[in-house]
Amino acid sequence: MRISVLPLLVKMFVKSQLEYRGAFWLDRLAQILSYGAVLTGIWIIIQKFELLGGWNWPDLALLFSFQLLAYSLGASMSFTQLAQLEEQVRLGTLDTLLTKPVNLWAYLIFSGLNIGYAGHIILAVPVLTWALVAAQIDWSLAKALFVVGSLLSATMVTGAIMTMIGATALIWVRSNHLFSIFFGFWELTRYPLNIFPAGIQAIMLSIVPLAFISPVPVAVLLDKPVPLIGDLGAPLALAAGPLLVCIAIAHWRFALGKYQGAGG
Amino acid sequence: MKAYIAFARSGFLSSLAYRNEVWANIFGKLVQVFARVAIWLAAYAGMTAVDGISIQDMVTYALLGGVVMGATRHDRLVRQVGNALKTGDVAVWLLKPVHYPLYLLAVEAGMSVYTFLLAVVPTIIIVALVYGMLPPASPFHAAMFVAFCGLSFTIHFLVAALFGVLAFWLMTIFSLEWLLQSLIVLLSGLLVPFWFFPEPFGTIASHQPMAWLVYYPSAVWLGRLDALETSVYFAFGLGWASLLAFALALLWRRASSRITVQGG
Repeated sequence: MRISVLPLLVKMFVKSQLEYRGAFWLDRLAQILSYGAVLTGIWIIIQKFELLGGWNWPDLALLFSFQLLAYSLGASMSFTQLAQLEEQVRLGTLDTLLTKPVNLWAYLIFSGLNIGYAGHIILAVPVLTWALVAAQIDWSLAKALFVVGSLLSATMVTGAIMTMIGATALIWVRSNHLFSIFFGFWELTRYPLNIFPAGIQAIMLSIVPLAFISPVPVAVLLDKPVPLIGDLGAPLALAAGPLLVCIAIAHWRFALGKYQGAGG
Repeated sequence: MKAYIAFARSGFLSSLAYRNEVWANIFGKLVQVFARVAIWLAAYAGMTAVDGISIQDMVTYALLGGVVMGATRHDRLVRQVGNALKTGDVAVWLLKPVHYPLYLLAVEAGMSVYTFLLAVVPTIIIVALVYGMLPPASPFHAAMFVAFCGLSFTIHFLVAALFGVLAFWLMTIFSLEWLLQSLIVLLSGLLVPFWFFPEPFGTIASHQPMAWLVYYPSAVWLGRLDALETSVYFAFGLGWASLLAFALALLWRRASSRITVQGG
């Protein structure tokens, strides 16, 4: 497959998205307000109680913005594209893509690269910048590198899990209900892991490893204890992304091998 | 009237067809309610009461939020109205001897009963068994809680339908859905009850229509309002509901007279 086709696919999709510029930015504004409302809710709790599980306002703002940024970067490369996969399998339109001389994954992802996450990023970056300065972080070169590395890893965790959920549609035909389980746990990653019961902590560190999107890396950054895995938090936060990407690639290949169409 | 009962029945039965989604839904809800309780337990951090609100009150409040908001899905309603407008399906409804908003109400009621019985009730029972839940303050408060739940469903429906009809003018469903989401997160009391809001925001928040979605039903259950206040605020909520119903009827009439179905 010629790689040069990919930028072209992205360009075409971005153009089509920006056709209705007013609607595009109105959508972004609505998303910023929606996430802003959640952040305001957390702020109100902190105004009253000062700490949540030992985390103060800058700590929680850091957690919130780190999560939002990692999520939006990872999801732009996976979520909308793979949530549509179910429909493409059901209607049989996927079969026409399979006959094309392009890698299926690359085609799906880049022909639908979701620039709609711009709103998330516009909110997350300033909050993250402020929180990195305001929170009590013992800065060093290693810490700075850890911020970048763990953010990349968290992005990969998001993308890999979503890809695995989406690819399941190739086997089960329906897989979108798994996304509601994903988002159930995903909302928890806005809060420190230590406030949840041990059962939920264990699930989020293993079967649904969303803790590596934000609570684990941010706890490491703030020198706070990481429940259950302790000092392994830092290396695992960095390794989780690449590891899950490898698993997701294997799963994608397996699912594609199993694909038989939706009947008919 | 017979037709609307049949619509409600079909809403109930069509939910029954997607059982996997219901299980995923129950699981997702369970995680979310557990999380909300965990947040309050962490915020209280061992304190028994804050501003006269005990930790048991807050655990119960978090559970009740799941009861009153768990069944109706405003996003589904906004999307349904918006899509009917976009695809032109709404024209079919204008030809039938049924009132479209009432049809939507009937279907939504059927679907909500289904989700309530199969997802909300089991979730609440499980969480209540784990964390404990306070009973209603008195038989009067219990009876009024049921009445307030009915009012909550009605206002929830009216607000969502109003946002859906706005798509006639804005032609974008996405931003309306997210905008409504942001209002509900902050102004329904779902995330944080208004008694923890800094003043004067608490007073303002407790007099706008969304307050009747979660805040008042839960406050009545907990006995935060005496008999007189309960009745006064019930009447107040009825006033909001009639105003919203009037606005919906007005907007609907305007919208249906200006509709032009594209491509027809």
